[in-house]
Amino acid sequence: MKKEGKHKTIVLGIGNTGRQDDGLGWLFLDFLETQNMDMDLEYRYQLQIEDAELISNYETVIFVDATKEDTEQGFYFKTCKPSEIYSFSTHALKPETILYLANTLYHHNPKASILGIQGYQWELEIGMSKKAKLNMNQAKDYFKKNILTNSILVN
Amino acid sequence: MKKLVIDPVTRVEGHGKVTIHLDEDNKVKDSFFHIVEFRGFERFIQGHPYWEAPALVQRLCGICPVSHHLAAAKAIDQIVGLEPKDLSLPAQKIRKLLHFGQVFQSHALHFFYLASPDLLFGVDADPSKRNVAEVAIKHLDLAKKGILMRKFGQEIIKAIAGKRIHGISAIPGGVHKKVSLKDRDYFLNGKEIPSVDAMIHWSHEIIDFIKNYHDANHKWLNSFADYPSGHLGLVNKENGFLELYDGHLRALDANGKVTLNDVPNDDYIQYFNEGVEKWSYLKFPYLKELGKEKGWNRVGPLARINICSGIETPLAEEERIIFKLATNNKINNKTMYSHWARLIEMLYCAEMMKILLNDVDILSNDLLRKGTRRNEGIGIIEAPRGTLIHHYEVDDKDRITRCNLIVSTTHNNEPMNQAVKWVANNVISGETKITEGMLNQVEVAIRAYDPCLSCATHALGQMPLEVSLYNHAGELIHEKRR
Repeated sequence: MKKEGKHKTIVLGIGNTGRQDDGLGWLFLDFLETQNMDMDLEYRYQLQIEDAELISNYETVIFVDATKEDTEQGFYFKTCKPSEIYSFSTHALKPETILYLANTLYHHNPKASILGIQGYQWELEIGMSKKAKLNMNQAKDYFKKNILTNSILVN
Repeated sequence: MKKLVIDPVTRVEGHGKVTIHLDEDNKVKDSFFHIVEFRGFERFIQGHPYWEAPALVQRLCGICPVSHHLAAAKAIDQIVGLEPKDLSLPAQKIRKLLHFGQVFQSHALHFFYLASPDLLFGVDADPSKRNVAEVAIKHLDLAKKGILMRKFGQEIIKAIAGKRIHGISAIPGGVHKKVSLKDRDYFLNGKEIPSVDAMIHWSHEIIDFIKNYHDANHKWLNSFADYPSGHLGLVNKENGFLELYDGHLRALDANGKVTLNDVPNDDYIQYFNEGVEKWSYLKFPYLKELGKEKGWNRVGPLARINICSGIETPLAEEERIIFKLATNNKINNKTMYSHWARLIEMLYCAEMMKILLNDVDILSNDLLRKGTRRNEGIGIIEAPRGTLIHHYEVDDKDRITRCNLIVSTTHNNEPMNQAVKWVANNVISGETKITEGMLNQVEVAIRAYDPCLSCATHALGQMPLEVSLYNHAGELIHEKRR
């Protein structure tokens, strides 16, 4: 990891393609890999404490994960703020907590967003549900139009 | 009968549910720790070609995919006709380096993130202040070292298995690539990340911390969840020393009597049964000869340090001897000593990583062997949380027809239930008011086992949770998944 200056953007895709729609985060990163963008991509089953150190080296962070929340467009893209969220119940940390730890430990506050893509099925099976595929395409379109072309991430 | 439900158990992998059944006088009538099951995966993998198993099983768990990967790889080696000793030395050493990196980072995660808040702030501390964020504020240096130790192990995994999380290292008969000179030097020279020597030094430092903590808190640590049990794990085939990658199965009872005498992996099925309880989705493994009531065993760091005859690395061996003196060289059945044992293993892993990183074999291209095809394979390793068994049968078209997994948390099912019972009987029973401190002690007892509850599904905002309610007659009256 380079120490002088910050890298520009990192996208953390969270999920597991062995559990149907839980793989949305990884599959979205697969899509980004084909877009020839100047972004670093990292695949995660879960966010962990060392990700606080990782994102402290970047100006911008995007977390991509499946969500069970009802969304109007099949996905949401929203700002993520550091927060002391204590309700985590596993080894995994929430994006807000990772940001909080990056601030506490490394005194760095990257600009952060969450892309949540709505999923529906979570069993041990490879392959997305049809509805999740549609949501994924919606999210791709939005990302291509508003993020990749307009570079709103660094504005 | 009143029923107290603690749900979910915070800071363990996945979700579980503890139910404590009280009678009309608030005395504990019974208690249960309910956790989810792996059986779905065993069905999921049927029909896949056997060579896909080491990659597919990584999807079982977001915390220890490498452990599943290597256990499956050992089983698949057998299917292609190779025992662990038949692999080339470079392949064996690269796999072991991967494994030590995995155990090191997992133990670091557990201690710094999950256990240290309980130890540093106490079980009566406000739960909103008993977490890693508070450790970061109050113990900044400790938190930063914990993160860098965790990162070191992760970087070892990345160097061997590849950047992507579902990377591949082990393949049937060996490994797919050597360690590069550049990667080797990255871990040794300390220029870009703290070196392996720093990992050894810091591991030693944190053992000093836990020893001092025991000195200051011995009354609580010596009594909390102290209950008799068997202890199971792998030991080195030659000398009975601590072994994490390939060894014989050894078990001792609560008094140190041998109950499983260095049994080869392939024979495990002759010695184990898996019991079932209608209130739990997880099975209860036990030694056939001792029966279900007496044949269950703890697995994991405490069990491994209990059963081994020594440790091959000098610093970890010194610490093992000190650890054993705490119980006058007798078997240690005290749950809270699991943390100390885990840290000794972390030091052992750091020392072993240094040895392997300095071994030129890991730079060799001699990576693969071939054997004569079989239809069955068994792979057993010591995962961070304990003994992990993968067993596959395949047909003549190379498809997996049967899969049996006994994971560490399954072995620890009964021990964790015993720990919950201990807390229920010794801390909660007879009380008219359940305090936050009491509830947390239930969690502390479970967390000592670092259970992994088969939960790689973690979509934003929701975690899988099985809720089962039983009446006083043991009947399932309600079941819900969310």
